[in-house]
Amino acid sequence: MTLERTIQIGFAIAVAIIVAVGAAALRSTAATVESARWVARTLEIRGDLEATLADLIDAETGVRGYVITGDTTYLAPYDSAGARLDAHVAGLRVLTADNPAQLERLDSLATLVAARLERFHWTIDTRRSGGPSAAGRAVIGGGGKELMHLVRGVVSRMEDEEGRLLALRSAALQAKARLARFAAWGGALVALALAVIASALISRELAGRRRAELALGETQTRFRQMLASSTAVIYANAVSGPTFSPTWVSENVTRITGYGPDEPLQPTWWLDNLHPDDRERVLADMPALFAHDQLTTEYRFRSKDGTYHWVHDESRLLRDAAGTALEVVGAWVDITDRRQAEASLRASEERLRLLLGSVGDYAIYLLDPTGIVVSWNSGAEHIKGYRAEEIIGQHFSRFYTPEDVVAGKPQAALRAAADQGRFEEENWRIRKDGTRLWADMVISAVRDDRGTLVGFAKVTRDLTERKRAEDTLRRYAAALEASNAELNAFAYSVSHDLRTPLRGIAGFSEALLEDYADRLDDVGKDYLTRVRAASQRMATLIDDLLDLSRVTRSEMHIGPLDLSALASAIAADLTKRDSARRVEFAIAPGLNVQADPGLMRVALHNLIENAWKFTGRRSEARIEVGSVPHDGRSAYFVRDNGAGFDMTYVGKLFGAFQRLHGTQEFDGTGIGLATVQRIIQRHGGRVWAEGTVGAGATFYFTL
Amino acid sequence: MDDKVILLVEDNADDEALTLRALKKNNIKNDVVVAHDGVEALDYLFATGAFADRKPHSMPQLVLLDLKLPRVDGLEVLRRLRADPRTHLLPVVILTSSKEERDLVNSYSLGANSYVRKPVDFGEFTEAIRQLGLYWLILNEAPPTKRTG
Repeated sequence: MTLERTIQIGFAIAVAIIVAVGAAALRSTAATVESARWVARTLEIRGDLEATLADLIDAETGVRGYVITGDTTYLAPYDSAGARLDAHVAGLRVLTADNPAQLERLDSLATLVAARLERFHWTIDTRRSGGPSAAGRAVIGGGGKELMHLVRGVVSRMEDEEGRLLALRSAALQAKARLARFAAWGGALVALALAVIASALISRELAGRRRAELALGETQTRFRQMLASSTAVIYANAVSGPTFSPTWVSENVTRITGYGPDEPLQPTWWLDNLHPDDRERVLADMPALFAHDQLTTEYRFRSKDGTYHWVHDESRLLRDAAGTALEVVGAWVDITDRRQAEASLRASEERLRLLLGSVGDYAIYLLDPTGIVVSWNSGAEHIKGYRAEEIIGQHFSRFYTPEDVVAGKPQAALRAAADQGRFEEENWRIRKDGTRLWADMVISAVRDDRGTLVGFAKVTRDLTERKRAEDTLRRYAAALEASNAELNAFAYSVSHDLRTPLRGIAGFSEALLEDYADRLDDVGKDYLTRVRAASQRMATLIDDLLDLSRVTRSEMHIGPLDLSALASAIAADLTKRDSARRVEFAIAPGLNVQADPGLMRVALHNLIENAWKFTGRRSEARIEVGSVPHDGRSAYFVRDNGAGFDMTYVGKLFGAFQRLHGTQEFDGTGIGLATVQRIIQRHGGRVWAEGTVGAGATFYFTL
Repeated sequence: MDDKVILLVEDNADDEALTLRALKKNNIKNDVVVAHDGVEALDYLFATGAFADRKPHSMPQLVLLDLKLPRVDGLEVLRRLRADPRTHLLPVVILTSSKEERDLVNSYSLGANSYVRKPVDFGEFTEAIRQLGLYWLILNEAPPTKRTG
């Protein structure tokens, strides 16, 4: 039930109650008035009855006085009593007209009164006639006492009757009055309660309205603030035929464009600030607004400060029920930043496209999540042989060899890339022309911001040539290893087997010389001596060759090495071996290097021994070991003042079996320096020599 | 007395002759038994094969062992000698042409008592044999002979 209905019903009930209360009050008043009337009548009746009795008694008293005295003055009350008693009876007859019982009693009373009066009259007559004694007897015996007694009885009964009636009526009237009071009080209470309820209802209703008004006000404020803080400018235009006139714009227009709040409401504001280059296009779109009731455009718009901003404008045409265009409402957002971001993204994409396009050595292309080729660069075209339009839309498994496809490798590769982010492989692939290429391939999973797989980036490099080169190299390495093994076997054989016959030759020559010296002449002995010497040289040669082979084959153990100490030890060894020589050694202290001690000993030994050998004919031989700066590092040298050499032949110096001196002049196999060079080269260093014939030689090496 | 016997294991007749000559020149009078390959050497030492009737408990005082031998090579002979309780203390001197480091290392690892490289020069060879004989036959106290059976 609505509040209004409730209030109406409430009011109806209230009015009904008030009317009822009024009626009750009226009834109550009427009852009171009647009650008063009844009381008055009863009192009147009682008065008349009392007066009747009193008149009778006065008359009786007067009559007695007359009887006793004979004085007629005593008869005055009796004389007037008849008229008064008639008046009393007549009055009582009127008053009790509604009560037959009382009327009957009244008749009895009137009869009794008349009888009494009659007796008085007789008594008086008797007095007059009989004198006092007759009269006295008449009084005593006349029955007057009994008559009075009857009158009193009738009066009393009538009074009682009236009293009873009064009490009866009063009780009824009091009940009526109580009911009326009760109704009045009850009605007043109900009316009060209704008033209280109505007041509560109304105040509640009023409070509700106030709250609603407050909430509405708040919502409106919030709405305005939201509009003001929004980046979208909201506007409305009244439409009249083909012309628009601005009617409202959200207040953030000032913050966003810099124009005052009223400027946008100027009729030409919008058109005036539209970029001249965009004006024609935007205006050309306008019919579309009427055709589709909505329009989205983007254009440049001039701010108050004169700069142009890109604006995204979405408008909607509102019509009335009849379809007449009424109003255009829309929103308008500054998208300059987005435009710039888009432009720079386009530029960056273009750069990337150019970059990818220019990469010819790598096939770079994209696959969708199922492995369908979606992009193709020139490197891919170059390597795989397919043009972009031939291959885009095809599945990438066609690059795989049939056996790999059967083995499920393309799918496995995509799965691995999706699971681990990246998959790498080197394997054979098929070109468009059916030839195979050895490809180094990387597949990377491409995921969007939310981690959803959107495809794969695939980079493939053609390593066919390198693979071939590697295979060749591997074959060479295997061949080299085989030949090294052969060389080892050969060296072992040389070491053991070649020496054994030599020992026979040397040994039996010696045995001949010792056991058969008496049967040989000097020439024969000389020949045998030469045989011995030749075998000894050959033994040395074999040993030197083995050394050379060993420095090539042995494992390197690089560690710290004191070259000064090593040189000193070698010098001491040589000096001890040939104590007849006088050689001055000058060895610089503190030559610390990183090298293989065993190999370095062989190298340094060869160099110092060479110096020792080639200074053999000097009376004041001098051998110097030291270091000089060379190309930012240290070059170590062994210098002597011996026979020296001709720089013309310096290139032959380090070749095996190359000698610059005859064996008669200086003993040697021509392998020592070759060994030195091998050792230095194995250390990553370089060895070179400077010399002058007759003035000595210097051998330098770096490590 | 087998106790003073030298066992020379040498396949090359020239080297055999030269060694014997060097021993003689150094006045080393011990009996020399020559085995021409590894099998012969092992047969002699363990009294098997051609040497089955040899008294097995008597061992040579010194074994001069070449490495490069037909059938069973010197290193294998050495390995078997060292593996057998009868011969594992027997003085064995490797006498070889090889100066390969791996031969040297292998020989000592298998328990060779000495390693001598045969020089080409006979004078030096004789000197080497002299020193060997002096050390191993005269100065060195032989290990107690293990009696078996």
